[in-house]
Amino acid sequence: MSALEIRDLDVSLGGTPILHGVDLSVAEGEAVALLGPSGSGKTTLLYAVAGFVTPTGGEIAIGGRTVSGPGRHTAPERRSVGFVFQNYALWPHLTAAETVAYPLQRSGIPAAEAASEAGALLARVGIPDLAGRKPAEMSGGQQQRVGLARALARKAALYLLDEPTAHLDAALRADLQEELAARMTADGTATIYATHDSTEAMAIADRVALMREGRIVQAGAPDEIYARPIDLWAARLTGPAWEVDGPLIGAPPGRVVVRPDWVEPGAGLEGEVGAVWFRGPHTDYRIETRAGRLEMRRPGAPEWAQGDGISVRVRHWWAIEG
Amino acid sequence: MTGLSRPARERTALLGLAALLVVLIAYPLFELVRAAFDQGWGTFVDALRGRGTPAAVWNTVWTGAAATAIALTVGTAAALVTERSAAGRRRWLRVGMLLPILIPPFVSALGWTEAFGPAGLLDDLFGIDLPGLFGPLGVVVVISINTAPLAYLVVAAGLTSRAEPDLERAARASGATAWQGFRTITLPLLRPSLISAGGLAFVVAVNSFGVPVLLGTPAGFETMTTRIYRSLALSADPEAFVGVVAVAAALVGITFLAVAVSDAWSWLGGAVVRTGTPAGTPAAGWTSRWPVIGLSGYVIVTSLIPLVALCLRALTRAVGVAPWPSNWTLANFGEAIDGAGGAFLNSVLLAAAAAFLSVALGGAVAALGRGRRRGWLGSVPVLTFAVPGSALAVAVLLAYGARLRDSLLLILVAYLAKFWALGHRPIAGSLENLPLDAVRAARASGAGAATALRTVVVPMLWPAVAAAWVLVFLFSFHELTMSALLYGPGSETLAVVILNLRQIGDVTVTAAMAVLLTLVVLAAGGLLGLARRGGASS
Repeated sequence: MSALEIRDLDVSLGGTPILHGVDLSVAEGEAVALLGPSGSGKTTLLYAVAGFVTPTGGEIAIGGRTVSGPGRHTAPERRSVGFVFQNYALWPHLTAAETVAYPLQRSGIPAAEAASEAGALLARVGIPDLAGRKPAEMSGGQQQRVGLARALARKAALYLLDEPTAHLDAALRADLQEELAARMTADGTATIYATHDSTEAMAIADRVALMREGRIVQAGAPDEIYARPIDLWAARLTGPAWEVDGPLIGAPPGRVVVRPDWVEPGAGLEGEVGAVWFRGPHTDYRIETRAGRLEMRRPGAPEWAQGDGISVRVRHWWAIEG
Repeated sequence: MTGLSRPARERTALLGLAALLVVLIAYPLFELVRAAFDQGWGTFVDALRGRGTPAAVWNTVWTGAAATAIALTVGTAAALVTERSAAGRRRWLRVGMLLPILIPPFVSALGWTEAFGPAGLLDDLFGIDLPGLFGPLGVVVVISINTAPLAYLVVAAGLTSRAEPDLERAARASGATAWQGFRTITLPLLRPSLISAGGLAFVVAVNSFGVPVLLGTPAGFETMTTRIYRSLALSADPEAFVGVVAVAAALVGITFLAVAVSDAWSWLGGAVVRTGTPAGTPAAGWTSRWPVIGLSGYVIVTSLIPLVALCLRALTRAVGVAPWPSNWTLANFGEAIDGAGGAFLNSVLLAAAAAFLSVALGGAVAALGRGRRRGWLGSVPVLTFAVPGSALAVAVLLAYGARLRDSLLLILVAYLAKFWALGHRPIAGSLENLPLDAVRAARASGAGAATALRTVVVPMLWPAVAAAWVLVFLFSFHELTMSALLYGPGSETLAVVILNLRQIGDVTVTAAMAVLLTLVVLAAGGLLGLARRGGASS
C-alpha cells in the first residue's frame, strides 16, 4: 500500500489554474523531493495534500484512505500529515515546548504527559535547552527545529516539508538538512520535501519529481534524473548541463546534453578555455569547441588558464527529445 | 539658507511645531480644566450632580459600552469573512463594509429614520417600523453600525499581519479543528488588535453626537454630548455654562481613561513578536455561501436601504405621499441649494483650509518625528484625535471665543486641533515604510540630495499626502459636533444647517441637503480610494 496516491490532480486558486493533472505516488518509508523553481506549484501541491486548499479535480489518498475526491474533502486535522513550513509558521505567543505539545494535546494526550513528550521531541531535534523560548528569542535554524519537532509530534503517516531550509544561511542549512535526512529515514514514514535546490533534493531523497508550471514533468531516482533528463530544462534544473552538436562528439544527430563531470582531458575535441572557476575541491572550466560551448570539472586547483588551447574527450552524453 | 547648523535648525522647527500644538490643543484644554475646577473639586462634582447630568453620564457610558460590544462582534465577524473565506475576493463586500465610514453619522441617523422610522419607507411599503428607533435602542444600533467599520479595519489588519493564514494552517496540520485553531491560535494573536479596536470603538461611540441628537433627543434620551449642545446652543444661562464645562471635562476624562485602559491592557499582555516572513498564499478558506449572504444582507439593511430611503425622501414632493416616480420632484434640491448655498461654501472653504493646514502640520510632525523622537511625538496626534469634539469645542470657545466669536476662524481652529492627526497618520506611515535604501540607492546612482528627494521620495510619498488631504477634507466637510457648538450668524456649515432645519421639521429639504452632502463625501471617498490604489501600485 502506498503512503500517498495522487491521481490527475487539478487545483485552481482564485480562478487561476495552478496544478494541471498531477500524478504522484509515494511508497511507505519513501522520501520524495519535489524539485522546481519558485512558482512551479510545489507549495500548492503540498497544501492540497495537507487539505489547506480544495482541489478542483482529481483524487488524493493518504494511507489508502481517500481524503480529496469528487464531493469529498477531509479537513486538515483529520488527515495523517505533519507539515513543516517554509516561514516556520511558529505561533508567536507560545514557547517551544507549548508549540510541540500543541499537536499532542489535540490528539487527546493529557497536558502533563504532552509536556514531557514535547521535551523529549525537542531533545530529539537537538534543542533540549530552548523549551521555554518564544520564537522571537530563537534563531532561524532553532525555529525550524521547533517546526520539525511540532510536525514529528503529529506522529503522522506522511510528512510534508515546504522548503524548510530556504530562509537559512548556508552553514545552518547543511546542518538542518542532515537532521531532516536522519529524521526522515529513522521514522520509516513517507516524506515529500519541496525545494528549489537540486543538490539538496538529490542528496536527501529516494526519488525526485521535477515540477514545472503546475505539472510533474519527470520523476525518478536522483542518479537517473541526473543522468537521463527528458529535456534541456530538466537537465539544467538538476545541475549544470550544456547542449552540443551530437555528431562532433560521436553521438547520433539530434540534441545532446553534456554535464561537466562527463568531460575529461583527452584526444577528440579541440577547444579553448573560455573561463576558469576555482571552487575549492574542484575547478570548473568553460570550453569553447566546434561542437558548442561546454563545461569540464576537474579535481583540485586550476591546471589551465583562460585562453589556453585544450583537447577534451566527452566520455558520456545524453540525447534529449525535441 | 539660514546660518544655523542642521541640529539647530531642526530644534527651531521642533519648537515652532510644539508652540503650534500648544496654541491649538494644550492651551484650550488647559482653559477647560481650569474653568471646570475654578472653584475647586467641589464645584466640579456639584456641577456633575446637576439635574439630569448623572443620567447623561450614565447613558453615555452604557451606550458606548453596548455599541463597542456590537461593533467589535460585527467587525470581527466581517473581518473573518473577508480575510478567511472565498468571499474575500469580492471587493464590493469590503467596500460595502466600509461604507458607513464615508457616510456622516447624522446622515446615517436620518437615513434610518426615513427607512425604518414611523412614516418611513418600510412603513409606507409594508406598514412596519422599528419600535424604539427613537431612544436608547436606536442610538446604540446606529452608533454600532457607524463604528463597526473601524473595528473591522483594525481586526482585518490584525488577521493579515498578526495571525496570518500559515499560522492557522499549522494549527490545522497539528490536529486542531477550525474552531480549536480559532480559539487557541487566532484569537490570542488577535488580542492586541481586538483591544485597540475596542478602545477605538468606545472612544468614537462616546464622542458621538449626530446620532444621539437625532435619535435620542426627540425621545428625551440624553447623552453627555447632547447635554453640552442643549445647554450651550439653546440656553444663555451662565449657570448652565458651568455645567457644560464640567461635563466636557468629564467627557475628556472618560475618553482618556478608555485610551489608557486599552493601552495598558494590551501592554500587560506582553508584546508578541512575529518571526519569519509573513507569508503563505491568502487562504481560500471555507467556501460556504452563508457568510457572503449574511454580510451582504447586513450591508443592504444597515447602509443601502437607509441611503435609498433618504434619496427617495429627497425626491418626493411632500411627507405623507408615496415615494413613487409620479410624486418625484427636484424642487427639494432647488430649495436645499437656495437655503444652504452659503453654508455649503463655508463648509468647502473650511474643509479645504483644514485639509491644507493639517497636511502641512501633520507632514512636518511626521518628518521631524522620524527616528529617536518617534516615541512621544508619535503618540501626541493619537491623543489629540481622541479628545471628544464636544469637549474640544467648549475648550476652544473658552480659549478663543472672546476674540473669534461667530467667525469661521474659530471653527477652523477646532477642525485643525481635531483633524491634524488624520493628516499626520498616512504621511507618518508612508515615511516609516520609505526604505532608506531607496534614498541611498538614488544617491549612489549619482543623484544629489535634492534630486533624490524629487525623483524618489516625493513620488513614493505623494499618494500618502493626497490620501491625508482627502481624509481631512472628508471629515471636516461633514463635521457636525464642533460646528454645532461654535457657529454663529454667517458661519453656519452645511451640517449645522441640516441639523437646525431638521429640528424645525422640514424633512424633505433636509433629506435633499443630506443627499447633496453625502454625494460630496462619497466623491471625496472615491478620490481617497484612487489615491490608495496609486499608493499600492507604486
